[in-house]
Amino acid sequence: MNALEVKNLRKSFNKKEVVKGISFDVEKGQLLALLGPSGCGKTTTIRMIAGLEMPDDGEILIEGILASQGHKATISQKQRHIGMIFQDLALWPHMTVYENIEFGLKVNGLAKAERQKRIDAVLNKVKMHKYAKAYPARLSGGQQQLIAIARAIVTEPKLLLMDEPLSNIDIKLREDIRQEIKHIQQETQITTIYITHDQEDAFLLANKVAVMNAGILEQIGSPEEIYSSPASLFVADFVGESNVINVKIVDKGRILTPWGELACNTKGQERGNAFLFFRPHYVKIEKGGYGDGVIINRNFLGEGYKYRISTSGGEIKLHVREIYEIGQSVRFSVKRMEILFC
Amino acid sequence: MQRKLTLGFFFAIFICSTFLPIAWMFGNSIYGNGRLSLVYYNDIFLTQKYVTVIFNSLILASTTTLLSALIGIPTGFFLAKTHLPLKNIFKICFFIPLIIPSYITGIAWANLLGKTGFLNNIFSQYTLLLPESISDFIYSIYGASFILSMNLFPVVMLIAEYALKNVNHRLEESGLITGSIFQVLRRITLPLIAPAILSGMMIVFVLSLSEFGVPSLLQVNVLTTQIFTQFSAFYNEKAATAIAFPLIVITIVVIMLEQVYLRGKSFEVLGRTSSNSTIQYSIPWLNTAGITFCIFVLSLCVVMPLITLILSTQPVSAYHDAFLLAKKSITNSVFFGSMGATLLTLMGFFLGYLCEKIRSRLKNSAAVFIWLFFAVPATVTGIGLIKLWNRPEGLFQFIYGSFWIVIIGYVVRFSPLSGRIMANYLKQIPYSMEEAGTVTGASWFRVLSNISLPLQRYGLVATWLISFMFCIGEVGTTILVYPPGHETLPIALFTVMANSPMNIVSALSIIIVAMTLLPVGVFLAISKYLVKI
Repeated sequence: MNALEVKNLRKSFNKKEVVKGISFDVEKGQLLALLGPSGCGKTTTIRMIAGLEMPDDGEILIEGILASQGHKATISQKQRHIGMIFQDLALWPHMTVYENIEFGLKVNGLAKAERQKRIDAVLNKVKMHKYAKAYPARLSGGQQQLIAIARAIVTEPKLLLMDEPLSNIDIKLREDIRQEIKHIQQETQITTIYITHDQEDAFLLANKVAVMNAGILEQIGSPEEIYSSPASLFVADFVGESNVINVKIVDKGRILTPWGELACNTKGQERGNAFLFFRPHYVKIEKGGYGDGVIINRNFLGEGYKYRISTSGGEIKLHVREIYEIGQSVRFSVKRMEILFC
Repeated sequence: MQRKLTLGFFFAIFICSTFLPIAWMFGNSIYGNGRLSLVYYNDIFLTQKYVTVIFNSLILASTTTLLSALIGIPTGFFLAKTHLPLKNIFKICFFIPLIIPSYITGIAWANLLGKTGFLNNIFSQYTLLLPESISDFIYSIYGASFILSMNLFPVVMLIAEYALKNVNHRLEESGLITGSIFQVLRRITLPLIAPAILSGMMIVFVLSLSEFGVPSLLQVNVLTTQIFTQFSAFYNEKAATAIAFPLIVITIVVIMLEQVYLRGKSFEVLGRTSSNSTIQYSIPWLNTAGITFCIFVLSLCVVMPLITLILSTQPVSAYHDAFLLAKKSITNSVFFGSMGATLLTLMGFFLGYLCEKIRSRLKNSAAVFIWLFFAVPATVTGIGLIKLWNRPEGLFQFIYGSFWIVIIGYVVRFSPLSGRIMANYLKQIPYSMEEAGTVTGASWFRVLSNISLPLQRYGLVATWLISFMFCIGEVGTTILVYPPGHETLPIALFTVMANSPMNIVSALSIIIVAMTLLPVGVFLAISKYLVKI
């Protein structure tokens, strides 16, 4: 049984549809990253799952139980049994760390001894036991993140929702907290939906990544699938660096590129226009390459160089270790490519 | 559901207590003897006397607004943009005129510039002005404007100071690279803060238009005093209502114009940067000009009026006499003020919540609608309450015959204000604070009692104290509705003005000032304990 099923979910604000009939499932114990640019509808989606926003249409099932249908909630907020970490963390400043964590347990009617036991356990888990009596304002940004996590998981929710929790912290701390989130999620096996606009967060944390754009779910799959075989131009462009070139399919498995006719999986198509997609590190500069180009830009990346070369099919980007001079003519070939359609 | 029902309940109370009396009153004024009639309105609009009264009201409001801007904008500038010595002391002192009821300032200035007044003597000795002409000035529309601007300029000052502090400093810096300070002020800073200043001026205009205390004290013939006269002297409530009509129309038009002008405009540039990053000009002569101007304004609006009142209370036994005379009124004021402030805080919290914390397109309209009622003149509110509550049925008679009608008067008059104050405090708390409670499955009441209310301790206390101050000073509505034996302190003051010596009047005025300033002291003393975090 899936921990979460979302079916044809829709939501509009002021007559503008921000979520346009998306559907996806999350298996129990998995972490799904909802990846997309700002305003693509990902926050609205998890707010509907959390019950903070009512959908206009569609169904949400949590562990097989219908949580909302159309614009009506079919179970109470308590029955959803959700933990949530907000973008601004929303730790209550007038309560101590202990009181912050205890609130959800009190609401769920747990006895004092049980509450104490669970709070101790969760504070130990996030290594924050000595801060139980501190007020949130006295804690650093990283410590506040951990308390927000502790507060969200202490009730052992069926579903943990995280709304860009790392967006407001610096890069070094971000890496540490990201590892901590991954560790805690794997240990607790709480089904988690993690919202982010950062592909690094998504790829490092998630079992599955769902890419959203303008209220539509463009693709859902493993990080490898999303990266290597993007299902749309948007995914190809949004996830990692990419080259996209106009081509013509001339036969099954044959395409006409600006650099000549090449063999390529045309996904069953025999005719028509398409886009050729390839990552910069799949481009090789070699004497026997089929394309001609001139180096027009070079940037040092640490472990190699990033080039832009001008070709008869437009500019393309590539990453290689070798040094070439600007203005130098080169021959190249692409080792791995995909056909995309509009 | 809990949230919808509770907010709906408080909004319904607001409508019933505030909107209904006024609607009832206007309905009655056009309906008599079983048919619709505009006879009273014809009288108003076709009689030269009332046209003059309408013009008087407009002159009073316009002159007060202009004077308040002329004092408030430079004061706000000096506080925000210069290294003024004793800046914080000036800031606190400039709050005092807002707190002291305007009729107290009026009594003091009438003392100072009256025929035998201290300043009148000086002016008539050292200038060509005659004592009578000076006295005539203070008892004129312009004298009333002067006194009201002494009380209301801090509104413009506070808004100007806030806006000036929050202008994006980079916009000014980019101008200073090529231009002088004055070019930057004229071409960049002033246009940026113009919407905020205009908003402040609109508030002053509406408040002075609906002012009753000062015009009544100085016997200036404006709409509010005419309403009172028609009602109290001629017992002609329909004429009183008809006179109130242009007042309400002007007020609504002004507020709507302000809303249209400010829509999507006012704070695009303001409020995005920290106030610490504001540019402050370090020019010695500007500081000297600033301190001279601030001392001059402070002496006009606080020092001179208060010293005059204190000096005219001789002998000291006047305080004792005043206290004995108004002992019951003092008790009443404290009791009614406390009750009123408590109800106003409760109403204010839920009205503020409605205007700020619900995610609905209607919330802005609700906020404007509620705020409109703050501009309803006190005398109009008073007549509306009488029309609605003065009837023989049991509950109505009980309320109308008891102190509850005074409390209701306070709630009607000031719930838009307490709602606005609470909305501003509630605005500072992100939605996520409550939502973090909601996702745990907690009911709205639980979220309210465990999260929202504790987070608002500071706002609740501030709202209570501000409401208390306003209730203590309220006169326009109370003077019409108070039942015998339930006089408040301002009513006692208006009564003794007619039949007691000046030292008793001054002593009572000082007692009122002390009672209104006391909550501020209490607030300053306890505020540090309210913020635990």
